[in-house]
Order: sequence, then C-alpha cells, then structure tokens
Amino acid sequence: MSQIITLEQLKQTLKEKLASGARVVAPVLDGDMATFKPITNVEKASFEPRACVQNSIKEFFFPKHETLFSFVRQGNDVVLTDAADFDVEQIVVGARPCDAAALPILDPLFAWDYQDRFYQERRAKTTVVTFACTKSDAHCFCSAVGGAPDNTSGADAILFDLGDGSFEVRAVTEKGTALFAGKTSESDKTGAACEPPKADFDVNSIAAWIRENYSSPLWEKVSLRCVGCGACAFVCPTCHCFDMVDEGSYNKGKRVRNWDSCQEAMFTLHASGHNPRGTQGKRQRQRLAHKFVIYPDKFKSFLCTGCGSCSRSCGQMFGVRPCLEALDKQGVKAQQ
Amino acid sequence: MENIYLPDPMEVLQVTQETGDVKRVRIRFRDPEKAANFHFNIGQFGIYSVFGVGESVFNICCSNSHQHEYIEFCFRKVGRLTERMWDVEPGDTIGFRGPFGNSYPMQDWEGKDIVFIAGGIAMPPIRCAIQYCLENREKYGKISIVYGARTVGDLVCRNELDEWAKYPDVDVLKTVDVAPTDGVAWDGRVDFVPTVLKDSKVSGDNAIALVVGPPIMIKLSLPILAENGIKDENIFTSLENRMKCGLGKCGRCNCGSVYVCKEGPVFTQADLKKMPDDF
Repeated sequence: MSQIITLEQLKQTLKEKLASGARVVAPVLDGDMATFKPITNVEKASFEPRACVQNSIKEFFFPKHETLFSFVRQGNDVVLTDAADFDVEQIVVGARPCDAAALPILDPLFAWDYQDRFYQERRAKTTVVTFACTKSDAHCFCSAVGGAPDNTSGADAILFDLGDGSFEVRAVTEKGTALFAGKTSESDKTGAACEPPKADFDVNSIAAWIRENYSSPLWEKVSLRCVGCGACAFVCPTCHCFDMVDEGSYNKGKRVRNWDSCQEAMFTLHASGHNPRGTQGKRQRQRLAHKFVIYPDKFKSFLCTGCGSCSRSCGQMFGVRPCLEALDKQGVKAQQ
Repeated sequence: MENIYLPDPMEVLQVTQETGDVKRVRIRFRDPEKAANFHFNIGQFGIYSVFGVGESVFNICCSNSHQHEYIEFCFRKVGRLTERMWDVEPGDTIGFRGPFGNSYPMQDWEGKDIVFIAGGIAMPPIRCAIQYCLENREKYGKISIVYGARTVGDLVCRNELDEWAKYPDVDVLKTVDVAPTDGVAWDGRVDFVPTVLKDSKVSGDNAIALVVGPPIMIKLSLPILAENGIKDENIFTSLENRMKCGLGKCGRCNCGSVYVCKEGPVFTQADLKKMPDDF
C-alpha cells in the first residue's frame, strides 16, 4: 500500500505550517517561469509539473546576501553584535530531486573543521519536500553524475504526481514522516518518475582527463564562449563560493556575505595585480576541476547534481554539460 | 553555535613605519581572557579587519614568545583596505580572526643549519621564524639571512638586520638591486638576492631553507639552493593566495585540490612540484 495526499490536503498541510509560524518556500509563477519564494498564501504556490525552476533552493540555506555581524564604533573601541540565530521552522516544498541532492553534497564543506553556523542552523530547521521529475529537458544530466529523476538524496519526503490531483508520498527521513503524519490516506496507486535523461559522456573519464590535462590549450578554446558573468554559479545548487564585504560607514555598519563566482576576473586578483587565474580558460578550468576533481578529492562527491541550471541560464549556451561534452569530444575521445 | 566569521576586537599598541609604504602594527586582544588563551604557531596567518572597509590577510610576523601580550603584522599600502589601515594609531581598534593555516616545523628544524631568504615585503613572513630561532639560539645550527629589496628605502625591518647579525654564528647578507645615489649610507651589497645567496655558508643534506619573495626571486634561488645540496623537502616557502574566509569555505585560495588557507600557507618545494600551477 502507498500513502497519498491530494493537492488540497497538501495545501492544507502548508497552511497549518504557516499558521504555526513556519516559513514556507514553494515555486511561485513569475511570468511563465517559476521561482522559489517564501509564501504567505498557499494559493500562490505552483505545483504544476515542470523540468525546472529559475532559482535553486540553495538560497534558503545559504542566502545570496546575509549579515554575519554588525559593528558600531564607540570612542576607540568597536562593539560587535553577532547576527541573530535562524530559529524558525522552514518547509521547502516542490524542489527537484537534483536541487535537494546538493544539500548532502554541501554539508561536509560547511562543517569542514570550522562549523558554519549560518548554513547549519537553516539546514537543521528545514524540511525539504521534493517532487519526483515528470519531465526532463536537453540540459538535464543527473543520471551522468549518480542522480535520478526519483533520487531521494537531500529530501525529507518525495512526492510523485499521480496526474489526478493527488500525489504519492514517500517519507525519507523522520522530518518528512512528521510533516505528513495524519495527512495522507492509504491507496494502491503508486507514482513513477520520468525516464532518466540521456548523456553519452562518462564523467569519470572526463574527471581523469581534467586531472592529467591541467595545462591543456583546450581550456582556453572551450572557454572562448564564456563572458564571465557568473550566472551559472548563481543558479547552481552546489556552487558555494562567497565574498565577505563591509557595508555602511567607518563608524557603523555590518559585514555581509554575498555569493561570488570563480568565473569573474577579480575573484582571485591579488592586491599586487597578480592573478593566478588571469584568463577565462583558467577560470573555467577551476570551475570544472572544482566540481569533478577537487571536491571529490576533498569530500568524496561530485560538486554537481546534473540539474542543468547553468546551461539553461547561460546567455552563451555554455555551462557544465556543454563544457563536459566539449572536453569529452575534444579531450577524452581525441586521445583514444 | 559560535560564529566563525566574527573577529575579535584588538587594541592597536604600536605602529612602526618600516618603509615609505610599509607599516608594522602591534595589537592585543581587548578581551583579557582571549589574550590569556591565545596561541599561534610560527608561520600562521591572521585576517585583520578595518571595520567599515573589510578584511585582509597578513602573516603574524613576530615570534610567539609574547603571544599573550601582543602579536604583530606588516602591511604595504597597496589597496582600499591598507590605505585605511595606514591611518590607525595606538589606541584604535581593528579586528582579528585566526590564527589560521599550518606553520613552519620549528621543532623539526632543531639542530639544523638554516638559510632564510627574503625579498622586499616578504621579510615579515620570515621574521617570525628568525625571531623564534634567535630566541632559541642554542637549538639551531648555523643561521644565514639573505635579504634584498629594490632600494635601501624598501628594506623592511632594516634596523633589526643589524641586531640579528650580532648573534653568534648568524650571517646577515643584505642587498639592494639599485645602489643609493642620494647619499644614503649603505653597508650591504648591490646585487640580486640569488647572486648573494651563493655566498651563504648554509648547505648540505641536513640544511633547511626558508624562501619567500617575488616569484622570479624564488625561481632563480632554487637552482642555487640545489647546487648547495639543499633538498626539495627541506626548502620551505609561504604562499599567498587571495583569501576571504581563511576557513576552507569561500573557494578562492586553492591550487588544484590544495586549499592554501587550511593546508598551507607553508609548503616545501617537494609539495609545490606536485601541485598544479595555480599560484
């Protein structure tokens, strides 16, 4: 037997959470694209089947812009005030499996010897409900990096659209079980995700090529398209590089953390003028190496879930998949 | 949970102008309990705040013998933050996070001859190790200090060089690229560091070299160290890559899979040969 929930019951569950003071994040239609936003009215949430949402749920764990502390100068002294704790319950509903899968990938980074309170508090307070994919597009390649349209990694519960206004609920964790306790009914209907997307390259072979071809001229060649705008990093569920800057004045202000991108020319620019990654090729190499060599070396997983958001957002029709395909064709296979 | 990005307010105790654009700053924790519990190892770095402007990374440039009373760092006025840092005076408050990174293996170096090689603003990351060795003079063998800068006016810790030369069995070879023409007294050499290094008496299998400076100086010094029989695993350097967090999270200081902030900044020449050219 399976557990099912109707769309109305799902909305009712979220309404109750909102009433209890929880923050609910769901896809909201924004023109013809959906964007994850905190909602106050569940009717704003859009749970239509779709291959993609404009942004990643990453920003509800690692915001684009967040205050780390504030300061005020008092005479010769400076008084620092720590940022407030994140102490609301948060429900993220409607995430794609490839978006949620980024969370267990990022966990060890934010706990690597130094515990990042900001990420970890949000992570502990949040329940993630994913929707198994019902369609994929040409950008998707989760299956090439160990994912699947019904992957439950990072999800507390996964819902399968039954196409009749109801969903099969499969709880993954205790948080997921608790969210749907008493909300579902038994049924003999079961849901299924769409077919896995196809990708005819082998990521492990490409990773091995990257490791051995750090100085290959191919990096500059494949990166000619890239204008270094950083959009790929901002939509990526796993990209986590950040900048820390002060806002305000010399006397009063705050230190904030902002998302950053390794594709931007100033990312590694030294005050002396020296830049270890002075060309777009070197910066693209860093992006790909970070995802497929460096992160696996450090944390045993690819820093990529194959969601395809980077190439969907790229104005130059580039991104991880096109880059992997170019490296595969012009690097890996050219050597064979 | 603790906020790893929150600096400690530090009182500025002393500011020393080293050159036309380099200052050395001595600071201590405003919180006496923090000061009492603070410990760092020689070669580690800190991240210093000018509140309202931001943070910058500098090596802790003094020995740790007074670590509960103060620490020191040097900076060159070169960017937005250091322009503002230039104006700090004793009594002012700056922020400090750290210590971060690995350190020079001072215990492993005991009983060995050491050559310290620095160029320009790279004296501070070596000064901490020189001070430590001289404070523990009996533990180390022959010491040679080779230090060069463009001009006499660019030598950091210029007065200390003469003090160091007074210690037993310490050889200070100081040099400038360009001879002073304006009547400035100069009793050192006029040559490039790698050339002067040839006259260092520290050599052999058991010798240690610590070399920090501009890439070209390091590049030309390495063959001379090799000629002197100093092995790659005994040649140490301190890398500087741009950093923000110092905690292995912000993602910009890495050379391939090596995070300079956590696994460095101290590497041997043998380590560097295994790392991709990303610095």
